[in-house]
Amino acid sequence: MRNVGIIGIGYTPVFVSKRKDVSIVEMISEAVDAGLKNTGLAPEDIDAYVFGNMATFEGVNMPHLWATEHMHARGKPIMRFATGGTIGMAAFHGAYYHVASGMADIAMAVTYEKHSEGDAQVGLMGIITPELMAMLSAGIDVTGQSGMGAIGGGSAGGISFQASSYLHRSGAGIEHIDAIAAMERRNAAKNPYAHLKDPEATAEKIAQTPMVSWPIRFGHICPTTDGATVCILASEEKAAKIADKVAWVLGVANCASDATTANLIDSQITDPAEQLPAIMASKKACERAGIEDPKKEIDYVEIYNGFAHQTLMYLEKVGMCEVGEAHKLLEAGELEMNGRCPVNASGGVVSTNSIGTSALNRVTECALQIMGQAGEHQVEKEVHKAMAHGWGGLMQYCTITILGDKPKKL
Amino acid sequence: MEETKVVTGAWELSTFKFNIEGRGLQLMLKHMKDRKLMGIKCHQCGTVYLPGPFYCRKCHIRIDEPAEVSDHGQVMTFTIGYADVRGNPLDEPRIAPIVKLDGCDSWIMGVMQGCAPEDVHVGMRVKVHWAEETTGSLQDMQYFVPE
Repeated sequence: MRNVGIIGIGYTPVFVSKRKDVSIVEMISEAVDAGLKNTGLAPEDIDAYVFGNMATFEGVNMPHLWATEHMHARGKPIMRFATGGTIGMAAFHGAYYHVASGMADIAMAVTYEKHSEGDAQVGLMGIITPELMAMLSAGIDVTGQSGMGAIGGGSAGGISFQASSYLHRSGAGIEHIDAIAAMERRNAAKNPYAHLKDPEATAEKIAQTPMVSWPIRFGHICPTTDGATVCILASEEKAAKIADKVAWVLGVANCASDATTANLIDSQITDPAEQLPAIMASKKACERAGIEDPKKEIDYVEIYNGFAHQTLMYLEKVGMCEVGEAHKLLEAGELEMNGRCPVNASGGVVSTNSIGTSALNRVTECALQIMGQAGEHQVEKEVHKAMAHGWGGLMQYCTITILGDKPKKL
Repeated sequence: MEETKVVTGAWELSTFKFNIEGRGLQLMLKHMKDRKLMGIKCHQCGTVYLPGPFYCRKCHIRIDEPAEVSDHGQVMTFTIGYADVRGNPLDEPRIAPIVKLDGCDSWIMGVMQGCAPEDVHVGMRVKVHWAEETTGSLQDMQYFVPE
């Protein structure tokens, strides 16, 4: 395995609800061209492309082939990932494998979601169609009014069960979910590539938003965003020639367990807040990165938090603090941009969620912090090592990437 | 300018036959008619699943030993829904617990009645409220009520 570094990042100029001025592939090309411009590379310098977006969310099933020419990939190897929320990081890992293995010297991960041109709920339905159809024949009530396996009572999504279980087992309260959501919306206000920004956000303001499914309020939930992100990775030898600043990949890992609340027919055996895959993936990635205690050695974290409680819950799972400690760090101000354990200075997924990009943005935001290029949302402390976390699938699939300011000793 | 168009038509979905339907799920439905909950137990590790899969998810071996599960259990986690699937407010908040039945290792989802939303808590003891006339359907287990 060779050392691999991130040498460049490209975002669409904005991440917003509706990009009506561009098509899907035109939007993708904005991010690709930004990535090339930021690195000074020409299209012919990219050896391989790894593409990521969710199947069926826009009703486009082969976007990587539609976008081939728009990302200058004609005649080059292309691979596509569609792993749910983790897509962006899965695509990043794919690009990493290309370069680490020596199959390519420079690879580009290209990710996007254009939520305004589709119905993500229909796409999400596709995740459990076979189980649901089989359960229908056994008498399940899909409106969630009665009967076993009532799908959590209609719209009361699986995530509320996770938040509820997390609160019970950590000792945190709903006021902590309000407070972390407010912190991230304030952080988002300093990130030009964030979607929901509110420099004046407070826990009290979030607490006034309607309860959707206890304990999840409207203010705890991510938006649906249009946007694209690319990340360019290079071998150590190439990086030395091309880039001034590099964020080195120290360790990657992913892990799955059984499908928590979505597994209707096979029976459910896992607490949705247990999240064993996050624990396992973090351990493995740390081991690969030569990190013994992430609490002491990791300076900055980006957590995938489609729902605000997940920032706190996953900080505990990935080993950045003890179980039941995350909400206390929040109370003490340690999670803020000037705190000891800064998290999601970007505003997190709860502020910006174009799904294909969301897990990649966790990596690129860690890279910007390491390179010292995060601008207004650069954290106060020096960032030598950072951890990016991705979550998704049927609530039970996690990815981890650890970056550093120096390459690994091979 | 209109932002969406609706194309009317039918999307033929398979009924997706599962192996477990003929085993665990049918076994469960058959006994629900008699107000009994029948799961499947792993003969190696003793884990009981409801509905029962045909292999143990921990031992990765085939299993087929029926095991009766109690219709009493405890709330492991829950949510309270305030909106329907379209996002419209519900007349009454809907309590949806995930319950671990006594004698069973897997958890099941359902709805709960006979309890105020503010009184629901993790660890709460509940029991199944059966339909007046049971037919061998998932609807036989209508909802949970406090024990």
